[in-house]
Amino acid sequence: MTTTTPQPTLPHRSSFARVPAVFRLQFAVRYSFIWLPMFIFALAWVLGIGIGFFIDSQMPDRIPAEDPIFSTGAAQATIWYLAFMAAYTASHTFPFSLALSYSRRVYVIGTYLAFVVVAAGYGVATMLAYYIERVTEGFGRHIYVFGPPSFENLGGGFGIGMFAAVIVLFFMCFGFFWAILYRRVTIPILWTVIIGVIVAILGTVVVITLNDWWPNIGQWLTNQNAFTLAGWGFLAVILLGAVNYLLIRKATAG
Amino acid sequence: MTTPTTDTSVRAIEAQGLTRRFKDTIALDDVTLNFEKDKIHGLLGRNGAGKTTLMSVMTAQDWPTSGSVRVFGQVPHENEQILPNICFVREEQRYPEDALAKHAFRAAREAFENWDEGFAQQLIEEFRVPKKTTIKKMSRGQKSAVGVIIGLASRAPLTVFDEPYMGLDAVARQLFYDRLLQDYSEHPRTVVVSSHLIDEISHLLEHVVVIDQGKIMVDESAEELAERAVTVVGRADSVAQVVGAREVLDREDLGRIARVTVLGKLNATERCLVNELDLDLIPVSLQQLIVHLTRKNGQTNTASEGF
Repeated sequence: MTTTTPQPTLPHRSSFARVPAVFRLQFAVRYSFIWLPMFIFALAWVLGIGIGFFIDSQMPDRIPAEDPIFSTGAAQATIWYLAFMAAYTASHTFPFSLALSYSRRVYVIGTYLAFVVVAAGYGVATMLAYYIERVTEGFGRHIYVFGPPSFENLGGGFGIGMFAAVIVLFFMCFGFFWAILYRRVTIPILWTVIIGVIVAILGTVVVITLNDWWPNIGQWLTNQNAFTLAGWGFLAVILLGAVNYLLIRKATAG
Repeated sequence: MTTPTTDTSVRAIEAQGLTRRFKDTIALDDVTLNFEKDKIHGLLGRNGAGKTTLMSVMTAQDWPTSGSVRVFGQVPHENEQILPNICFVREEQRYPEDALAKHAFRAAREAFENWDEGFAQQLIEEFRVPKKTTIKKMSRGQKSAVGVIIGLASRAPLTVFDEPYMGLDAVARQLFYDRLLQDYSEHPRTVVVSSHLIDEISHLLEHVVVIDQGKIMVDESAEELAERAVTVVGRADSVAQVVGAREVLDREDLGRIARVTVLGKLNATERCLVNELDLDLIPVSLQQLIVHLTRKNGQTNTASEGF
């Protein structure tokens, strides 16, 4: 035990000195961002492949190499879970970080770093799953969740992994956005924003349809690969991340 | 009002014309006051008086609508030079989803450089904080204990407690008061405690701020405040002779004996009279005094259990 009087330490320190502490705060409850997502990833993969094998068993005439089975939907499970957990950090961990007297800036930087690491982990897991499925040719029966043959042209394991990581990062920022918006604004404004987003999306679709731009968009998409898509995704992450920071700057714990 | 100290080095908090408006309500209305360093300050007031808002703004958890606040000479908001010196665990504090108490304490240890792990462990034992229950599933009192422990063990130069006793039983409350005083005497620091259980914490306080409807009603040292009223006990006619035309806060008659609490200090002549007439002087309870002072202010003439 020290016997000194706690005096305010006013000599200059780095304003970012406590960023690593916020980063570790996000992993304080280990299973939230580490064990549970890994478990969900594995479970969804096993279920996806299992469904593939079930379908396979119902199709005795199937020639696997010509008629591969895709159950890529299973890859979404972890993304949804992580989006929810990102929302929880805005609704629960953020108020706690105020009690620990972190500035909003330090909180946001530490939290984004944690998101990046989690997203990178998801990307690596996706890449590994991709290679396992490629090497085993869909577990010998051409059943794919993460590694359909067509992905090879999109950028291979590394490209797919990077794309997956950016997608997760985007949805974590997206979950975080809604939770922090909920803290900042009243329910009518929240609904206005939700309806505004829907209207904006529908409006874009209408404009594209009226101008008959769909072929152009299809062309644009076929010109993309996993790396360029990840790049666009990352741009969206940066924009949403900036919006989140502006929202949290005046957010309170109340 | 306290004599304003001109030396900013003795001030922990300086608030200037602080106003905080929420939609239709004014939670803080042009609040100007100082909290001196290394003292225990009481922030008293009724529910909804503006205590929590004032604490939130002072500790940079909330932003003022107008006015300014300085902590240890600097604006605390988004200021990482000042923020590590502040600890304010709210009454309804949220914790990370599924966190156990140990997760919260570990995080606090990383955030506060003066954190005393030995002291924290001692408090965890004394307050009997459950080890395997997530904080969100704890009882009100157990949650309060987690907050109180973070506040005490952080040894932050500015530590703020917002109604820290909520849900705590009498034993735990006493434990909190004891540990606060004991640790404060070994490691003096600036402590602000809000409460509406005034008599229970009055013995801790060196400086008392009373807030009502967002305005500061009282801002005095506990000593000065105690002298603002006095209770005189003795024969009714003698008592009446001493108190004269003073404003009566409280009066009890027991046959020919009267017990009267009046506002205002007794002068030397009156004190002599008290001796001559064989009357007793009893210091007035802070609670009684504050209830009176706030009731006088407000249009809200409801009974004293508002506190």
